[in-house]
Amino acid sequence: MRLTSKAASVGTLTAVALLVAGCSSSADDTPAGGDAAGACEPSDGAVELTFTTWIPGIEEVVDVWNAANPDIQVTVQTGPNGNGGTYQNFFNQLKAGNAPDLGQIEYDALPNFRVQDGLTDLGACADVMAAQDDFVDWTWDQVSFGEDGHAYAIPQDAGPMALFYRKDLFEANGIPVPTTWAEYAAAAEQVKAAGGYITNFSQSDVNQFAGLVWQAGGTWFTNDGDAWGVDLAGEESAEVAEYWQDLVDRDLVSSVPPWTSEWDNAYNIGAAWTWVSAVWGANSIASGAPDTSGKWAVAPMPQWEEGEEVAGNWGGSSTAVFRGSEHVYEATKFALWLNTSDEALTLLNEAANLYPATKAGAELPALAEGVEFYGGQPIYDVFAEASTQVPAGFTWGPTMTQVYADVSDGFKGAVSGSGTLLEALESAQGSTISTLESQSIPVAE
Amino acid sequence: MTSTQVVAPVLARSTQPARRLPVPHKRAIAFFVLPFGALFALFYALPVGYAVWQSLLVVEREGTFGPARQVFGGLAQYEQVFQNGPFWTSVGRVLLFGAVQVPVMLLLALVFALLLDSPLLRGKRFFRLAFFVPYAVPGVVAAIMWGFLYSPNLSPFTAVTSNVDLLSADLVLWAMANVVTWVYVGYNMLIIYSSLLAIPTEVYEAARLDGAGQLRIAWSVKIPLVLPAIVLTTVFSIIGTLQLLAEPQVFRSFSSAVTSTFTPNLTVYSTSSVPNFNLAAAFSVVLALATFVLSFAFLKLTQKKGVQ
Repeated sequence: MRLTSKAASVGTLTAVALLVAGCSSSADDTPAGGDAAGACEPSDGAVELTFTTWIPGIEEVVDVWNAANPDIQVTVQTGPNGNGGTYQNFFNQLKAGNAPDLGQIEYDALPNFRVQDGLTDLGACADVMAAQDDFVDWTWDQVSFGEDGHAYAIPQDAGPMALFYRKDLFEANGIPVPTTWAEYAAAAEQVKAAGGYITNFSQSDVNQFAGLVWQAGGTWFTNDGDAWGVDLAGEESAEVAEYWQDLVDRDLVSSVPPWTSEWDNAYNIGAAWTWVSAVWGANSIASGAPDTSGKWAVAPMPQWEEGEEVAGNWGGSSTAVFRGSEHVYEATKFALWLNTSDEALTLLNEAANLYPATKAGAELPALAEGVEFYGGQPIYDVFAEASTQVPAGFTWGPTMTQVYADVSDGFKGAVSGSGTLLEALESAQGSTISTLESQSIPVAE
Repeated sequence: MTSTQVVAPVLARSTQPARRLPVPHKRAIAFFVLPFGALFALFYALPVGYAVWQSLLVVEREGTFGPARQVFGGLAQYEQVFQNGPFWTSVGRVLLFGAVQVPVMLLLALVFALLLDSPLLRGKRFFRLAFFVPYAVPGVVAAIMWGFLYSPNLSPFTAVTSNVDLLSADLVLWAMANVVTWVYVGYNMLIIYSSLLAIPTEVYEAARLDGAGQLRIAWSVKIPLVLPAIVLTTVFSIIGTLQLLAEPQVFRSFSSAVTSTFTPNLTVYSTSSVPNFNLAAAFSVVLALATFVLSFAFLKLTQKKGVQ
């Protein structure tokens, strides 16, 4: 017995040693990165592309493309939203060398994918570079990282934020629609007195909080080309954190985790009355709270100072071509159609309330119409206004998945009574710096 | 005492090492072992070796978006593992979980198995299946189902859940323990039950002749005889506990108390989504070693007792 087990372990060790020896050579040919910019040539013959996204109803949009382009057939695969699992899949697929040709990536995750060398530089694709001026400036900035002659994705939509609120309930209870955050806090008390919650604090989706910091004029990262600056707990972040901490402490906001059935239900039964969210959130409410159709309205986001006109941005996606795609040219053709053609943009807006990232997109006839779920209000007018009020200069870091996870861990603690939101940001500041350092990503002192 | 005397030879026979003879048909044996060996190498040794190798690499790059290079870094990743507070907190958490949940689950499994084996019980086939059915429910589905049962407003038992928040920081670990127990009791019961069925009936006859009742037979004959099965299920359970992933991953969306580093495996998962595959590999290797050590320590401990 002893002999055999020893023999077995020797065998296993040998196997491991062989494996290690075998793998060591493969480590040398890790791609050096960024070299894909050289090629953007059409392929011969028919091409099949794969596209992973989480836009609801995308299948019908892609069907329209496939019917018109028999030589470039796109197979679409849908998954959970990016931080909900799709990014993790992308990273794994990139590591394994079997990523799809195209993928949906929100602007905040682009640096993360670029630093992991997951994106194809589309700078060599003449069509893409020619489309540069079609896009709203800040969205192009996000995909080009401000570098001339480069593009690491094609902008798709923007997420200007506004206030979704239950018009009927606010009117019935005589609560004025808040225009400042101070009024919002006051309204929260009245809503609580009327038996509801004004909203939930989004402890597990930190993206919303980032949008609020964005509105307040803060930024979490800076990049001077040599090193990243990390500032999760700066002045503006602290102001936003303390504001929400106060609402949490006074039990004026609920702690229902976002994106759960419980959260949908709270909106559906009228237990939650407002949501400060992005334009695509129009779809989330409509699908999550079908019983409240016609009772909602949209107003501009509450302001920090009376009379200001500043909006935050939450999300907004781009379509990226992953490293390793053999049909970059065809992939960009599809991505450009998807994100710039009136046909596709109208379909995307109908299917998922996406707000186009193109300048011409704002003039789409579909966006001028009233939306039934929101009592016939032409809600995109509010978002069109908001999209011009988003401050420039918010920079995303290269490890946002980790930042969101760590901030969320702290936020979760804060809403369940241990620690504060500001402490969560301070602790994430430290863990973010150590994560960057462990990946040899330079951090400014 | 009489019963234990009966037990001794049975146990001895089963544990006696077979005498080593020169092996004939070496080629045939090699032929039959080959499929297993190939699959073992491909799907076990190779991934483990790859993970070990990944854990020894570190990333180097220059500038904010400089291309990454993987270079050999020795034990640098392991240094980070041992300095990582949340990881060790999560290890402590699953150890606490295991120390409570494993004995409770196995005790229940043993009781159910003894009841099924008892001549007094009716409808054995039904109960055998009924207890086993939860194991046929995929772990993720079970976690989602229980997540809904626990949730304060959607649960069919709102009278309970709106007063006692089972998803709060104090209780969520035990809420998960309940899910795991619910899923695995039947599985462990079946292992113990099949081992009970293997006990020869003469042993029972002898015990009855000595005047033992059903309870006494259960206590002095059945339990000692199924001890190897209980040891086996304990080892499986220890391994399962340390590798807890599906339940906390699902509960993360339901509960504010479940963080991205709630269990060691969840830490591995979160680290690989940074993505920092090298550090995630180092976490996995350490976790695997800890699992080996704990399982073998338990086996050694129980074997020593057996000798005495």
